[in-house]
Amino acid sequence: MTFKPKVGLISCSGEACSGGNISRAATLEVLHHLKPNETVTICLPLFLAGDEAEREFARKFPTITIDGCSKLCAGKGTTRYSSEPAVEMNLEDYLGKYSESQDERWRINDSDIIVNEIAQDIARHIDRLRDEWG
Amino acid sequence: MKKVVIPCSGIGKAFGAVAREATYLLSDGEYNDMFTTICLPLLMTDDKESKRIVMESDVYTIDGCPKKCASVLVKHVGGTPAMEIMTPKVLAENKEHKPETVLDIGSGGRLLADDIVNLILKHGGSTK
Repeated sequence: MTFKPKVGLISCSGEACSGGNISRAATLEVLHHLKPNETVTICLPLFLAGDEAEREFARKFPTITIDGCSKLCAGKGTTRYSSEPAVEMNLEDYLGKYSESQDERWRINDSDIIVNEIAQDIARHIDRLRDEWG
Repeated sequence: MKKVVIPCSGIGKAFGAVAREATYLLSDGEYNDMFTTICLPLLMTDDKESKRIVMESDVYTIDGCPKKCASVLVKHVGGTPAMEIMTPKVLAENKEHKPETVLDIGSGGRLLADDIVNLILKHGGSTK
């Protein structure tokens, strides 16, 4: 039986803008509903504040960073403190400048459909990374 | 100048979600004239504007686990939190306000978020 690793999902979860909350919602959808057995999550700030375990995971196994805006904190932070992500997603590719608005930084109101679309894309990346492993 | 509330960004545990809820009750609720928030991950990327805000403002950190990411990152860029809140410790003082899950903190979690809000308001010179 071929070993297939779990994929690490690292959402920026940025507090200041809608893109951060949408990245968090899409990541949670994958973690809890679409791919609960194929994924783990790492709180992004743990790369700096945590112990070596978080950094080591991202060095050994594939990760997907899900950034809410073009500042790309999750991608940069993961690369800086651990290893380059296998996939770097920028939600501005889905949301445009809306990602920087504050409309849905607290609650998801009108973005359910786009959250699901992003979650489905994350899930497709997970399947591909696991198939390509090794 | 507004006071800055920074939650831990935790996505794995209900306590992180409670920290986030408390933050928005302050920054986007009825106290939005007194409080704001910034993205915690920006402090990992040496963002100059975020560093400046942290250095010049009263910062309240709300952490969901003992790793204390919010507090650690604020200190990492040279800031000194005016108050460091650990959500599990607040729960220990209000045991019936237990959050449910990261997806839905439930009524207990919302009460716990209110407890945190009240702690910060008390420290910040205001009461609910």
